[in-house]
Amino acid sequence: MTAHYRFPPAAAYPLNRCLFLLKSDAAYRARYLAAPETAMDALGVPAEARPALRAFERDRLVGLGAHPYLVFMADLRLAMERAPAAFERF
Amino acid sequence: MPLVAAAALPHTPQLLMRPDTEDRALVLRVHAAYARVERLLTAARPEAVVILGGDHVEGFFLDAVPAFAVYVGATASGQFGPYAYTFPVHEPLARHVLEAGIEREFDLLYTQDRRLDYAFYVPLHFAAPEPPVPIVPLHVNVYLPPQPTPRRCYAWGRALREILDGRPERVALVASGGLSHYPGTDRYASPDYEWDRQLLARLAEGRGAETARLTGEELDKAGNVELRTWITLLGAVGDARADVVCYEPSWHHGNAVVTWPVDRAASAR
Repeated sequence: MTAHYRFPPAAAYPLNRCLFLLKSDAAYRARYLAAPETAMDALGVPAEARPALRAFERDRLVGLGAHPYLVFMADLRLAMERAPAAFERF
Repeated sequence: MPLVAAAALPHTPQLLMRPDTEDRALVLRVHAAYARVERLLTAARPEAVVILGGDHVEGFFLDAVPAFAVYVGATASGQFGPYAYTFPVHEPLARHVLEAGIEREFDLLYTQDRRLDYAFYVPLHFAAPEPPVPIVPLHVNVYLPPQPTPRRCYAWGRALREILDGRPERVALVASGGLSHYPGTDRYASPDYEWDRQLLARLAEGRGAETARLTGEELDKAGNVELRTWITLLGAVGDARADVVCYEPSWHHGNAVVTWPVDRAASAR
Protein backbone atom coordinates (compact mmCIF):
# COMPACT_ATOMS: atom_id res chain seq x y z
CA MET A 1 0.00 0.00 0.00
CA THR A 2 1.15 3.53 -0.73
CA ALA A 3 0.55 5.77 2.25
CA HIS A 4 -1.67 8.78 1.81
CA TYR A 5 0.69 10.94 3.86
CA ARG A 6 4.38 10.37 3.29
CA PHE A 7 7.62 11.81 4.61
CA PRO A 8 8.14 15.07 2.73
CA PRO A 9 11.48 14.89 0.87
CA ALA A 10 14.00 17.60 1.66
CA ALA A 11 14.19 18.53 -2.03
CA ALA A 12 10.55 19.63 -1.84
CA TYR A 13 11.12 21.95 1.13
CA PRO A 14 10.82 25.22 -0.90
CA LEU A 15 7.62 23.97 -2.53
CA ASN A 16 6.15 22.87 0.80
CA ARG A 17 7.20 26.14 2.40
CA CYS A 18 5.41 28.04 -0.34
CA LEU A 19 2.26 25.98 0.20
CA PHE A 20 2.55 26.43 3.96
CA LEU A 21 2.80 30.20 3.61
CA LEU A 22 -0.10 30.33 1.15
CA LYS A 23 -2.11 28.42 3.75
CA SER A 24 -1.03 30.23 6.87
CA ASP A 25 0.50 33.63 6.10
CA ALA A 26 -1.94 36.29 4.91
CA ALA A 27 0.83 38.71 3.89
CA TYR A 28 2.57 36.09 1.74
CA ARG A 29 -0.75 35.05 0.23
CA ALA A 30 -1.39 38.67 -0.78
CA ARG A 31 2.09 38.92 -2.31
CA TYR A 32 1.53 35.69 -4.21
CA LEU A 33 -1.82 36.82 -5.55
CA ALA A 34 -0.28 40.11 -6.71
CA ALA A 35 2.90 38.66 -8.22
CA PRO A 36 3.19 34.86 -8.06
CA GLU A 37 6.54 34.52 -9.81
CA THR A 38 8.17 37.06 -7.50
CA ALA A 39 6.65 35.35 -4.46
CA MET A 40 7.93 31.95 -5.65
CA ASP A 41 11.35 33.45 -6.41
CA ALA A 42 11.62 34.58 -2.81
CA LEU A 43 11.35 30.98 -1.60
CA GLY A 44 13.38 29.32 -4.35
CA VAL A 45 10.48 27.28 -5.68
CA PRO A 46 12.01 25.28 -8.56
CA ALA A 47 10.89 26.05 -12.10
CA GLU A 48 9.54 22.53 -12.64
CA ALA A 49 7.04 22.97 -9.80
CA ARG A 50 5.70 26.37 -10.79
CA PRO A 51 3.17 25.47 -13.51
CA ALA A 52 1.67 22.78 -11.26
CA LEU A 53 1.56 25.17 -8.34
CA ARG A 54 -0.10 27.93 -10.31
CA ALA A 55 -2.73 25.50 -11.53
CA PHE A 56 -2.91 23.58 -8.23
CA GLU A 57 -2.48 20.26 -10.02
CA ARG A 58 -2.61 18.08 -6.95
CA ASP A 59 -1.22 14.85 -8.35
CA ARG A 60 1.68 16.61 -10.02
CA LEU A 61 2.48 18.58 -6.86
CA VAL A 62 2.30 15.49 -4.67
CA GLY A 63 4.52 13.71 -7.17
CA LEU A 64 7.05 16.49 -6.67
CA GLY A 65 7.00 15.91 -2.91
CA ALA A 66 4.31 18.36 -1.80
CA HIS A 67 2.37 17.35 1.27
CA PRO A 68 -1.23 16.61 0.16
CA TYR A 69 -2.79 18.48 3.06
CA LEU A 70 -0.78 21.61 2.27
CA VAL A 71 -1.91 21.48 -1.37
CA PHE A 72 -5.52 21.08 -0.27
CA MET A 73 -5.58 23.88 2.29
CA ALA A 74 -3.44 26.36 0.36
CA ASP A 75 -5.89 26.01 -2.52
CA LEU A 76 -8.85 26.46 -0.16
CA ARG A 77 -7.34 29.53 1.51
CA LEU A 78 -6.79 31.16 -1.87
CA ALA A 79 -10.43 30.39 -2.73
CA MET A 80 -11.53 31.97 0.55
CA GLU A 81 -9.49 35.04 -0.35
CA ARG A 82 -11.00 35.32 -3.81
CA ALA A 83 -14.65 34.70 -2.83
CA PRO A 84 -15.20 35.19 0.91
CA ALA A 85 -18.97 35.60 0.50
CA ALA A 86 -19.26 32.02 -0.74
CA PHE A 87 -19.11 30.71 2.82
CA GLU A 88 -21.82 30.66 5.49
CA ARG A 89 -20.23 31.63 8.78
CA PHE A 90 -21.24 30.21 12.15
CA MET B 1 -8.93 15.73 41.48
CA PRO B 2 -10.14 13.15 38.93
CA LEU B 3 -11.17 14.32 35.50
CA VAL B 4 -14.61 15.92 35.45
CA ALA B 5 -15.43 15.33 31.78
CA ALA B 6 -14.03 13.70 28.63
CA ALA B 7 -15.11 14.17 25.03
CA ALA B 8 -13.87 13.76 21.47
CA LEU B 9 -14.99 16.20 18.79
CA PRO B 10 -14.48 16.88 15.09
CA HIS B 11 -12.94 20.10 13.84
CA THR B 12 -13.36 20.24 10.10
CA PRO B 13 -13.39 23.95 9.16
CA GLN B 14 -16.45 23.47 6.96
CA LEU B 15 -18.37 23.32 10.25
CA LEU B 16 -17.24 26.87 10.96
CA MET B 17 -17.39 28.27 7.42
CA ARG B 18 -19.79 26.28 5.27
CA PRO B 19 -19.25 26.32 1.51
CA ASP B 20 -22.19 25.29 -0.65
CA THR B 21 -20.58 21.89 -1.15
CA GLU B 22 -21.65 20.99 2.39
CA ASP B 23 -25.08 19.72 3.44
CA ARG B 24 -26.44 22.45 5.70
CA ALA B 25 -28.73 20.10 7.64
CA LEU B 26 -25.81 17.80 8.41
CA VAL B 27 -23.67 20.72 9.57
CA LEU B 28 -26.45 21.84 11.90
CA ARG B 29 -26.81 18.33 13.32
CA VAL B 30 -23.12 18.33 14.18
CA HIS B 31 -23.60 21.75 15.78
CA ALA B 32 -26.41 20.27 17.89
CA ALA B 33 -24.05 17.52 19.02
CA TYR B 34 -21.43 20.15 19.91
CA ALA B 35 -24.12 21.91 21.96
CA ARG B 36 -24.77 18.73 23.94
CA VAL B 37 -21.07 18.56 24.77
CA GLU B 38 -21.07 22.23 25.70
CA ARG B 39 -23.85 21.54 28.20
CA LEU B 40 -21.98 18.52 29.55
CA LEU B 41 -18.77 20.50 29.96
CA THR B 42 -20.59 23.44 31.56
CA ALA B 43 -22.33 21.13 34.03
CA ALA B 44 -18.98 19.59 34.96
CA ARG B 45 -17.71 23.04 36.07
CA PRO B 46 -14.13 22.59 34.87
CA GLU B 47 -11.44 25.05 35.85
CA ALA B 48 -9.42 24.18 32.75
CA VAL B 49 -9.92 22.39 29.45
CA VAL B 50 -6.98 20.26 28.37
CA ILE B 51 -7.37 19.80 24.63
CA LEU B 52 -5.48 17.29 22.48
CA GLY B 53 -5.20 18.54 18.92
CA GLY B 54 -3.58 17.24 15.78
CA ASP B 55 -1.82 20.21 14.22
CA HIS B 56 -2.50 20.69 10.50
CA VAL B 57 1.01 21.92 9.73
CA GLU B 58 0.08 25.27 11.26
CA GLY B 59 1.98 25.56 14.53
CA PHE B 60 4.63 23.09 13.43
CA PHE B 61 5.93 23.18 9.85
CA LEU B 62 8.87 21.17 8.57
CA ASP B 63 11.37 23.38 10.40
CA ALA B 64 10.56 21.48 13.61
CA VAL B 65 8.21 18.51 13.98
CA PRO B 66 7.59 17.26 17.52
CA ALA B 67 5.65 14.09 18.25
CA PHE B 68 4.02 15.68 21.29
CA ALA B 69 4.10 19.27 22.48
CA VAL B 70 2.70 21.40 25.29
CA TYR B 71 1.66 25.02 24.81
CA VAL B 72 2.89 26.83 27.89
CA GLY B 73 2.59 30.48 26.90
CA ALA B 74 0.39 32.93 28.76
CA THR B 75 -2.03 32.74 25.83
CA ALA B 76 -2.45 30.70 22.66
CA SER B 77 -3.71 32.29 19.46
CA GLY B 78 -4.79 31.24 16.01
CA GLN B 79 -6.65 32.55 13.01
CA PHE B 80 -8.66 31.03 10.19
CA GLY B 81 -10.03 33.47 7.66
CA PRO B 82 -12.21 35.96 9.52
CA TYR B 83 -12.04 33.96 12.76
CA ALA B 84 -9.34 34.94 15.24
CA TYR B 85 -8.95 33.45 18.68
CA THR B 86 -6.80 34.10 21.72
CA PHE B 87 -7.26 31.76 24.65
CA PRO B 88 -5.72 32.17 28.08
CA VAL B 89 -3.54 29.17 28.88
CA HIS B 90 -3.79 27.66 32.35
CA GLU B 91 -0.11 28.24 32.84
CA PRO B 92 0.44 26.40 36.15
CA LEU B 93 -1.37 23.34 34.84
CA ALA B 94 0.37 23.48 31.45
CA ARG B 95 3.77 23.76 33.10
CA HIS B 96 2.98 20.89 35.45
CA VAL B 97 1.85 18.67 32.56
CA LEU B 98 5.14 19.45 30.81
CA GLU B 99 7.36 18.89 33.83
CA ALA B 100 5.53 15.80 35.06
CA GLY B 101 5.46 14.40 31.51
CA ILE B 102 9.21 14.84 31.20
CA GLU B 103 9.65 13.17 34.61
CA ARG B 104 7.68 10.22 33.24
CA GLU B 105 10.14 10.08 30.33
CA PHE B 106 7.93 11.54 27.63
CA ASP B 107 10.32 13.84 25.79
CA LEU B 108 7.85 16.64 25.22
CA LEU B 109 8.51 19.75 23.20
CA TYR B 110 7.14 22.94 24.66
CA THR B 111 6.32 26.26 23.11
CA GLN B 112 5.34 29.65 24.39
CA ASP B 113 4.77 31.13 20.96
CA ARG B 114 3.59 28.70 18.26
CA ARG B 115 0.31 29.39 16.51
CA LEU B 116 -2.74 27.45 17.49
CA ASP B 117 -4.28 25.29 14.77
CA TYR B 118 -7.99 25.11 14.00
CA ALA B 119 -7.98 21.60 15.43
CA PHE B 120 -7.99 23.37 18.78
CA TYR B 121 -10.31 26.29 18.22
CA VAL B 122 -13.10 24.85 16.08
CA PRO B 123 -14.24 22.51 18.89
CA LEU B 124 -13.81 25.32 21.43
CA HIS B 125 -15.80 27.70 19.21
CA PHE B 126 -18.81 25.41 19.48
CA ALA B 127 -18.41 23.42 22.70
CA ALA B 128 -16.37 25.41 25.22
CA PRO B 129 -17.97 25.49 28.67
CA GLU B 130 -19.68 28.58 30.02
CA PRO B 131 -18.16 30.60 31.55
CA PRO B 132 -14.98 30.21 29.52
CA VAL B 133 -11.98 28.73 31.31
CA PRO B 134 -8.28 28.65 30.49
CA ILE B 135 -7.03 25.87 28.25
CA VAL B 136 -3.97 23.67 27.94
CA PRO B 137 -3.34 22.82 24.28
CA LEU B 138 -1.49 19.54 23.78
CA HIS B 139 -0.20 18.89 20.29
CA VAL B 140 -0.03 15.41 18.77
CA ASN B 141 1.70 15.02 15.39
CA VAL B 142 -0.82 13.41 13.07
CA TYR B 143 0.03 14.65 9.55
CA LEU B 144 3.82 14.66 9.23
CA PRO B 145 5.35 11.16 9.08
CA PRO B 146 6.77 9.56 11.06
CA GLN B 147 3.99 10.18 13.57
CA PRO B 148 3.96 8.73 17.09
CA THR B 149 2.67 5.17 17.26
CA PRO B 150 -0.82 4.49 18.63
CA ARG B 151 0.82 2.59 21.49
CA ARG B 152 2.88 5.64 22.40
CA CYS B 153 -0.17 7.91 22.19
CA TYR B 154 -2.08 5.59 24.50
CA ALA B 155 0.82 5.50 26.97
CA TRP B 156 1.01 9.32 26.93
CA GLY B 157 -2.72 9.43 27.67
CA ARG B 158 -2.34 7.09 30.63
CA ALA B 159 0.47 9.21 32.01
CA LEU B 160 -1.58 12.33 31.39
CA ARG B 161 -4.44 10.91 33.43
CA GLU B 162 -2.10 10.28 36.37
CA ILE B 163 -0.72 13.77 36.06
CA LEU B 164 -4.15 15.44 35.88
CA ASP B 165 -5.62 13.33 38.68
CA GLY B 166 -2.86 14.59 40.94
CA ARG B 167 -3.80 18.23 40.40
CA PRO B 168 -6.19 20.32 42.49
CA GLU B 169 -8.03 21.74 39.45
CA ARG B 170 -11.22 20.36 37.96
CA VAL B 171 -10.11 19.39 34.44
CA ALA B 172 -12.07 18.49 31.32
CA LEU B 173 -10.15 16.51 28.72
CA VAL B 174 -11.07 16.95 25.06
CA ALA B 175 -9.66 15.23 21.98
CA SER B 176 -10.07 16.97 18.64
CA GLY B 177 -10.00 15.05 15.39
CA GLY B 178 -11.42 12.47 13.06
CA LEU B 179 -12.95 10.42 12.05
CA SER B 180 -12.20 9.10 8.57
CA HIS B 181 -11.12 11.68 6.01
CA TYR B 182 -8.31 12.07 3.51
CA PRO B 183 -7.76 15.78 2.90
CA GLY B 184 -5.68 16.51 -0.18
CA THR B 185 -5.64 12.95 -1.48
CA ASP B 186 -7.46 11.09 -4.22
CA ARG B 187 -9.62 9.43 -1.56
CA TYR B 188 -11.06 12.72 -0.33
CA ALA B 189 -14.56 11.84 -1.50
CA SER B 190 -14.56 8.29 -0.15
CA PRO B 191 -13.93 8.10 3.60
CA ASP B 192 -13.97 4.69 5.27
CA TYR B 193 -17.30 5.01 7.10
CA GLU B 194 -17.47 1.30 7.87
CA TRP B 195 -14.14 1.46 9.66
CA ASP B 196 -15.46 4.39 11.70
CA ARG B 197 -18.66 2.56 12.63
CA GLN B 198 -16.75 -0.49 13.77
CA LEU B 199 -14.47 1.73 15.84
CA LEU B 200 -17.39 3.53 17.48
CA ALA B 201 -19.05 0.18 18.27
CA ARG B 202 -15.86 -0.98 20.00
CA LEU B 203 -15.60 2.26 21.96
CA ALA B 204 -19.24 1.95 23.06
CA GLU B 205 -18.39 -1.50 24.39
CA GLY B 206 -15.53 -0.08 26.44
CA ARG B 207 -12.83 -1.55 24.22
CA GLY B 208 -10.84 1.64 23.78
CA ALA B 209 -7.58 0.00 24.83
CA GLU B 210 -7.65 -1.99 21.59
CA THR B 211 -6.83 1.18 19.67
CA ALA B 212 -3.34 1.09 21.17
CA ARG B 213 -2.69 -2.01 19.04
CA LEU B 214 -3.52 -0.30 15.76
CA THR B 215 -0.60 0.50 13.48
CA GLY B 216 0.23 3.78 11.84
CA GLU B 217 -0.30 2.09 8.47
CA GLU B 218 -3.82 1.05 9.47
CA LEU B 219 -4.65 4.59 10.55
CA ASP B 220 -3.36 6.04 7.28
CA LYS B 221 -5.25 3.46 5.23
CA ALA B 222 -8.52 4.19 7.08
CA GLY B 223 -8.18 7.97 6.80
CA ASN B 224 -7.79 8.13 10.54
CA VAL B 225 -4.33 9.60 11.09
CA GLU B 226 -6.04 12.04 13.48
CA LEU B 227 -7.28 9.19 15.66
CA ARG B 228 -4.00 9.59 17.53
CA THR B 229 -5.61 12.36 19.59
CA TRP B 230 -8.53 10.09 20.45
CA ILE B 231 -6.15 7.25 21.30
CA THR B 232 -4.31 9.58 23.66
CA LEU B 233 -7.61 10.44 25.33
CA LEU B 234 -8.48 6.73 25.47
CA GLY B 235 -5.30 6.16 27.41
CA ALA B 236 -6.68 8.63 29.93
CA VAL B 237 -10.23 7.28 30.20
CA GLY B 238 -9.29 3.59 30.11
CA ASP B 239 -12.03 1.15 29.23
CA ALA B 240 -14.96 3.43 30.02
CA ARG B 241 -17.85 2.89 27.64
CA ALA B 242 -18.23 5.71 25.17
CA ASP B 243 -21.50 7.51 24.57
CA VAL B 244 -21.68 8.20 20.84
CA VAL B 245 -23.52 11.52 20.63
CA CYS B 246 -23.49 11.56 16.85
CA TYR B 247 -21.89 10.06 13.79
CA GLU B 248 -22.58 12.21 10.75
CA PRO B 249 -20.79 11.08 7.60
CA SER B 250 -20.54 13.85 5.04
CA TRP B 251 -19.31 13.26 1.50
CA HIS B 252 -15.73 13.70 2.71
CA HIS B 253 -15.66 13.34 6.47
CA GLY B 254 -16.87 11.05 9.25
CA ASN B 255 -17.98 13.57 11.88
CA ALA B 256 -18.16 11.90 15.28
CA VAL B 257 -18.95 13.41 18.65
CA VAL B 258 -18.32 11.11 21.60
CA THR B 259 -18.24 11.52 25.37
CA TRP B 260 -17.05 9.29 28.14
CA PRO B 261 -18.70 9.25 31.55
CA VAL B 262 -15.71 9.82 33.76
CA ASP B 263 -17.39 8.29 36.81
CA ARG B 264 -17.53 5.05 34.88
CA ALA B 265 -14.02 5.75 33.66
CA ALA B 266 -12.88 6.07 37.25
CA SER B 267 -14.57 2.84 38.27
CA ALA B 268 -13.22 0.96 35.27
CA ARG B 269 -9.61 1.81 35.98
